[in-house]
Amino acid sequence: MRGCCRTVLLGVGSLALACGCAPEETETPPALELTGRVVDAAEILDEQFEKNLTQRLELLEQDTNVQLVIATIPDLQGYDISDYGYQLGRDWGIGDAERNDGLMILVAPNERKVRIEVGLGLEGLVKDEEAAEIIRTGILPKFRTGDFENGISQGVDGLIVEVTPIEPKPAELKEAA
Amino acid sequence: MNFAAVRRMALVAAVSLGLASCGINTVPAAEENAKAKWADVEAQFQRRANLIPNLAEVAQGAAENERAILTEVTEARAKATSINVSADDLGDASKMQELAAAQGQMSQGIGRLLASFEAYPQITSTQGYLTLQSQLEGTENRIAVALRDYNEAVRQYNTTIRTFPDTIGANIIHGAEPLVPYTAVTEGADVAPELDLTSD
Repeated sequence: MRGCCRTVLLGVGSLALACGCAPEETETPPALELTGRVVDAAEILDEQFEKNLTQRLELLEQDTNVQLVIATIPDLQGYDISDYGYQLGRDWGIGDAERNDGLMILVAPNERKVRIEVGLGLEGLVKDEEAAEIIRTGILPKFRTGDFENGISQGVDGLIVEVTPIEPKPAELKEAA
Repeated sequence: MNFAAVRRMALVAAVSLGLASCGINTVPAAEENAKAKWADVEAQFQRRANLIPNLAEVAQGAAENERAILTEVTEARAKATSINVSADDLGDASKMQELAAAQGQMSQGIGRLLASFEAYPQITSTQGYLTLQSQLEGTENRIAVALRDYNEAVRQYNTTIRTFPDTIGANIIHGAEPLVPYTAVTEGADVAPELDLTSD
């Protein structure tokens, strides 16, 4: 029983999802409404935390054009989290349709799964191994202690690092000039 | 503008409308869409095939059992790459089935190999292994998505050429033949292998 509780099954890895595509698939679309940058359908986040996080995500989009959405879902309805994730990303049309640069952290606390969905256009910046590393070393240690908020924060931090262009240091600038 | 001119224009409009609605444009568009989706599938298959040498390297550190599975995987890979289903072969059911069989075998082999590596903490704890594992899993996911998108495009195309009025243009002008969806002949071929990332 103890082993069971400590067992964390996670789908990691990133996946090319065509964010922004017209929702035309015939598969049953996940019934979850896009209400903002943070959709806490599983109700595991504090209101103030959501507010702060939303602000950070707004800033991220201003700085990098990258739309990052956090979603928590109470029930995967029997879907694999990867199936659920890409369909949700397409359904919501996260990211720019042309650039295909949506990002999503999907948390299913009851199934104990987490996933980072990466739009095709961002695959070069957020590689599979990088997304997996963020989950393994940033998100999971917090989630295992039941700390969803800090786990999500770690995930957001990690993704921001990946998508933010590295600015040359002042010293390097001088050399270049 | 006189009456005759208006009538001529109306006729032109009616004819072009009629043409447009009998599959002149919709049939090739649907076909091109399916072909484009197939190209995505091929790209992802290729991506997976390209990861096999890395898998082989990891398997070097494992035991006989793993090397045996690896042999299966590399044989399936050789088979899969030898079956070239180009955009013009998308109506060829037997070729498609052959490819699906080889790809399915490869997919399953990779899944089994990754599962059996779990017994080797000295392998699974390395950065190289973690990277490879996430890349393989990500590629399996991409393949699954690409296959579903292809199948959906095929479904749309096949519906188009069989539905009135597009079927007129499809049969008379384009001589359109139905395309074959990709069907997983072995379970798991178009489904990502479940990777158990259990830690306790």
